[in-house]
Amino acid sequence: MLTNPLTKNIGEPGIVTTLEHYLENGGYRGWRKALHMAPDEIIQTVQDAGVRGRGGAGFNTGLKWSFVPRGKDAPPTRYLVCNADEMEPGTFKDRLLMEHDPHLLLEGMAIAAFAIGARRAYIFIRGEYHLAAARLETAIEEARGENLIGTHITGSDFQLDFHVHRSAGNYICGEETALINALEGQRAIPRAKPPFPQVSGLWGKPTVVNNVETLCNIPHLIELGVDWYKKLGRGEDGGTKIFGASGRVKNPGAWELPMGTPIREILEQHAGGMQDGLKLRAYLPGGGSTDFLGPDQLDLPMDYDAVGKAGSRMGTGTITVLDDHTCPVGLVLNLTRFFARESCGWCTPCRDGLPWAVKLLMRIECGEAQPEDLELLREQARRMGPGNTFCALAPGAAAPILSALKLFEQDFNDHITRGCCPYDQERQHIPLAV
Amino acid sequence: MPTITIDGRQYEVEEGQNLLASCLSQGLNLPYFCWHPAMGSVGACRQCAIIEYKDSDDEQGKLVMGCMTQVRDGGIYSLAAQPAQEFRGAVIEDLMTNHPHDCPVCEEGGECHLQDMTEMSGHTYRRFRGLKRTHRNQYLGPFINHEMNRCIACYRCVRFYRDYAGGDDLEALGRNNQVYFGRQCDGKLENGFSGNLVEVCPTGVFTDQTFSRHFVRKWDLQTAPSVCEHCGVGCNTAPGARMDFSSRDENLRRVVNLYNRDINGYFICDRGRFGYEYANSDLRIKNVLIARREQVIETTGRRKDKLHREIEPPAALELLASAIVDAQRGRRRLVGVGSPRTSLENNFALRQLVGPGNFFAGLGARDLELLHTLDRIQRDPRISIPTMPDIEDADAILVLDEEIGRTAPRVALAVRQAARNQQRDHARELKIPLWQDASVRQLRGENTPIFVLGSSASTSLEDIAREQRLASPAAIASFAGRLAELITAANGPTTGDEAGSGRTPLPEDLEKLLRGVADTLLSARRPLVISGCGSGEPDILAAAGKLATALADKQGSPCATYLACPEANSLGLAQFFEPGEGTLEQLLEDLRERDSVDPPVTLLVLENDLYRRLPTAAVEALFDRAAEVVLFDSLLQPCSRRADLVFPAAATPESQGTLVNSAGMLQRHYMVYEGSGYIQESWRWLVDAVNDPACREAGIDTSPALLRQWQHCHEVTAAIAAALPCFRNLTEAGPDENFRIEGMKLARQSHRVSGRTANRAHLHVAEQAPLTDPDSPFTFTMEGVQYAGASPLQANIWSPGWNSNQAIHKFQQGVGGPRRGREPIPRLQREPAPMPAWLAREKLVQEPGQMYLAPTWQLFGSGELSNYSEAIAGLTDAPCAQLSAADAGALGVAPGARLQLRLPGGEITLPASVSDHIAPGVIAVPVGLREAPDLAALLPAAAEIARIENPEPVEPGESV
Repeated sequence: MLTNPLTKNIGEPGIVTTLEHYLENGGYRGWRKALHMAPDEIIQTVQDAGVRGRGGAGFNTGLKWSFVPRGKDAPPTRYLVCNADEMEPGTFKDRLLMEHDPHLLLEGMAIAAFAIGARRAYIFIRGEYHLAAARLETAIEEARGENLIGTHITGSDFQLDFHVHRSAGNYICGEETALINALEGQRAIPRAKPPFPQVSGLWGKPTVVNNVETLCNIPHLIELGVDWYKKLGRGEDGGTKIFGASGRVKNPGAWELPMGTPIREILEQHAGGMQDGLKLRAYLPGGGSTDFLGPDQLDLPMDYDAVGKAGSRMGTGTITVLDDHTCPVGLVLNLTRFFARESCGWCTPCRDGLPWAVKLLMRIECGEAQPEDLELLREQARRMGPGNTFCALAPGAAAPILSALKLFEQDFNDHITRGCCPYDQERQHIPLAV
Repeated sequence: MPTITIDGRQYEVEEGQNLLASCLSQGLNLPYFCWHPAMGSVGACRQCAIIEYKDSDDEQGKLVMGCMTQVRDGGIYSLAAQPAQEFRGAVIEDLMTNHPHDCPVCEEGGECHLQDMTEMSGHTYRRFRGLKRTHRNQYLGPFINHEMNRCIACYRCVRFYRDYAGGDDLEALGRNNQVYFGRQCDGKLENGFSGNLVEVCPTGVFTDQTFSRHFVRKWDLQTAPSVCEHCGVGCNTAPGARMDFSSRDENLRRVVNLYNRDINGYFICDRGRFGYEYANSDLRIKNVLIARREQVIETTGRRKDKLHREIEPPAALELLASAIVDAQRGRRRLVGVGSPRTSLENNFALRQLVGPGNFFAGLGARDLELLHTLDRIQRDPRISIPTMPDIEDADAILVLDEEIGRTAPRVALAVRQAARNQQRDHARELKIPLWQDASVRQLRGENTPIFVLGSSASTSLEDIAREQRLASPAAIASFAGRLAELITAANGPTTGDEAGSGRTPLPEDLEKLLRGVADTLLSARRPLVISGCGSGEPDILAAAGKLATALADKQGSPCATYLACPEANSLGLAQFFEPGEGTLEQLLEDLRERDSVDPPVTLLVLENDLYRRLPTAAVEALFDRAAEVVLFDSLLQPCSRRADLVFPAAATPESQGTLVNSAGMLQRHYMVYEGSGYIQESWRWLVDAVNDPACREAGIDTSPALLRQWQHCHEVTAAIAAALPCFRNLTEAGPDENFRIEGMKLARQSHRVSGRTANRAHLHVAEQAPLTDPDSPFTFTMEGVQYAGASPLQANIWSPGWNSNQAIHKFQQGVGGPRRGREPIPRLQREPAPMPAWLAREKLVQEPGQMYLAPTWQLFGSGELSNYSEAIAGLTDAPCAQLSAADAGALGVAPGARLQLRLPGGEITLPASVSDHIAPGVIAVPVGLREAPDLAALLPAAAEIARIENPEPVEPGESV
């Protein structure tokens, strides 16, 4: 049984899978099969398989597709957009897929576009991913040359064209409606919902926005079926997922593993455990906008719901590890500074609250804070709760702050009472892992 | 109506509304920033947080944004719950981290929505210890100050400027808390509604630059309801005045919008807002002037110009009185020339004094014909005149050769809202409430069909027009006529001579457009036809009328038709005359005929610059034939040079009177402040003259005698109502001076007004007796009713805790509804009659080689009074002749050329400018400019190009 559908073509680092290689390895079989399926059937398959959005929210992908209006009265123009704006701190899974196996994404997109009836698909790619963008463009040319996409798709009268759009750079573009705005040339701010993009998205037309990894799940699912897909997972959710680890572990990287792989296994077997002399202090399970979990939560399976129940989110599934020689306040400051900078500026708690949180964290980190600043920081972070802000950016930014205040209360207090960062002196003696 | 519970009290609320608007409609105080009653919700500021409970067992509740949450029948909410209060305070606290502490020197202070909301939220102590971010400010032109440090990023400015008004040179730039609202580079804000930013901005980022030059706090301004005098739309305004401490005169400080749902709503145009400065102009006449005997030296003026000196009013009145007495005895003839820019009262008083037979409209024959044509169309029972909400509701619009963006700007703004009606329909289908602005605007798709035809392109509508076509007025009239025929599917014989009978062959592109436009108009439920006097072609109006009546016949109900009049009281003035009578040409003819015959003529000119009405030579001839010229006006306009006597007339905000707008609405404006010097209403000068001992001794028994009965404005108003049936409901335009609310008059000043005794303390320590107003139920002091909820007449929009203009919702029947207590605006009571089939006029362009000279009206530059306002005067373009690139090529007009044009009325030379916005065969010429007032009188006309002076070609390499 195929157990690594996402990465089976990825061999040596730095080697890109060409169309030739991709086809040899069974590529575009899913697409060819899909062309002979009814769109509704594809949507139903994806829905039945329980493919959940790999961008972090974990929404059922098939269900999302099914919201696109169908039937005679539906608007004829629809769009598929691939969200390749991978900007979540600590996350590099989409980059891996796009740089090494661009055709897998294209095939997934082709099937998705066919299912929703989109004749034009956009890849909205993070600007810094120039290598991935170039490889995708090459792959698009290759696929067009073989009439796998384009105006003369072999064996079909379906037409489909791909466009790669390099983002001007903004974290908020990861939010699908802000992405749509940016793609239209508007300010990258999230849109009000309803209408949802599936009804009125890009240029007011029905639009589906899916993450890179989500789309990469599709070709083999269509080729090999729901049962195969479901069996891939070890827990509740089916399929495989690219999990990653960064921080001071022995072997940072990303690996395709079954859904529901326990975190301990990822960190200890795949990432090789902590570097010598360091202990695991806590970790962010799925990017910078997830809550810290402590070492007591290592046996958690990487499942959307399991991690959610533990008080965090699986997010992108790329784990950021905090060791015991790194200042947690500094880490939170670093993250918060990122989120404050990336705020789109639309709603008040995010736009004006995050910079304030940064100022408070800076003061704490520098040892210039007063005891009441901790409460103020907690208050600020709580203001950014879900529903209080326009989109999920600020609640995501608040997650590490609030969980850090809980988990590392002593560290925060030490900064204030000592009037300096207690890690400052240590830091000089610990070599930074490259 | 759904019933909701807020903090234990039950309220009946409007179905489908959002919670914020519902709370405000119920009089509850809920702070907000980004929401605007005319622009809806976007959920940016998060200020209007309230708690929503699932049911009566839910004690926790959930924090929701009032502006983003639709009311639910039986819903339970709390404004007072602690988490909601805390969150609202927290949002203010966040906003304040970057807001400067400059309230004492900020011009918004005292009417700042941010101040009000901060107070309301209860945020008091500053906990933020960081530095505030700072921005660089921009130069945004002569109207608006920019102080970006004060910005709280509510996005209202860009939402108004871009989304609502269609501007594209103000935008949100940058991101996070550095987001910047400005232009890409310094420069004037191009949109004609930029002034509304002053009122839309909840704090002091955008403030009124003209107000800055003579700034006082809102509470120190005295105000009364007024009507904008700068075009025919009749927007309601609240001018603010305050004594100027250097001159000790009352001084008009600013104009702000005064909400009137049926006309201007929340917004007025920049001409209306910034045109007020003419009232403070150095050219204001404040004393009575009399011509001196000395001759003007020709190097300093024209030969017939007169030098003036000040004269005491009694002496001047005696002179005028003796002229009246002479006229009574047949030794003199008094001739009155009325004005379309002053009140019915002033016009009627003059008419009464000189007698209807000696009263002329002060308009050229063509201008008056246009008005009478327009009037006849409006009388047709198949025509309905839309209010602004009606226009916003139209689902198909045809604009016929009227650049409403410049002649009736507020109408263009309403048309812009109508453009989104298909989008709104789509939203209704998706069950998205219309107040969800951020959602509704995402629903792209086609605009409401708007077809715009003009001899020059409409810059205000071009981005929303489905089709815009450039064509000659003759072709446009023909197009409208053909449309009417298509709509009635009339195969029957037409005379062929009728205006809009389609005898002019249509250019190919118009011919192609016909069927589509006809189908669209026929399938529309609320079609709207827009035209006006701007083209100067009665045929255009006639064709518009023909089309509208055809549509009305087809749909079985009157067709909404908006026809723009040029000036504030054009339509009112026209009511005094039968079609074909009262023109200046007739007056000139009349005077010519009687030239040698006694008695000598005293020409009384009322608030009118005749050089804008007739070619200069004709005006001079008119003055030459008058033995004496008496001018009543507020400004030393060109006619004053020829006047023997000049009486200082009150400007609109200094007087009470009634104006008739293009929609036939009779609107009263009240005196906001007393004009300085001897300024008073023109009708009062006439009454004073009739009451002069000279007249009294002589005894007057004819028509002028009526003037003796007038002491109060309402007596003039009543006399008009009695004299002319169309004005019979004129007294309904407002109460008389005896009106009281619980025994009290209305106060022009706020209860916080300062300096009452100090203002004149340098003259006398005793407090002066306040001025009395014989005309209106307003006091000139703080005494009286101040609360705007007590009467719709109170123009000081203020409510406890709501110091900014946002307080208006306290005085509406529900947010966005009509002002509470406001009666419907009375309209002209004209005798309904089907419009006649007008004969098409001779086409102006008869010979090949001739060009059609079309007048184009400017937002800044064509308004007679606003041209005297400093900020606007700086923006007017120089006169020029615009022609299409094709014509320029065919005629050999090089860039920088000057065109010498031969018109029936004379020759003019203008610099040429080539534009792709002009129809072929047409030369568009800006008219109404102060530099070349008579162009308005000469156009439209056929012109021969007498000479083209191309610039000297520059040799390559030659230094220029």
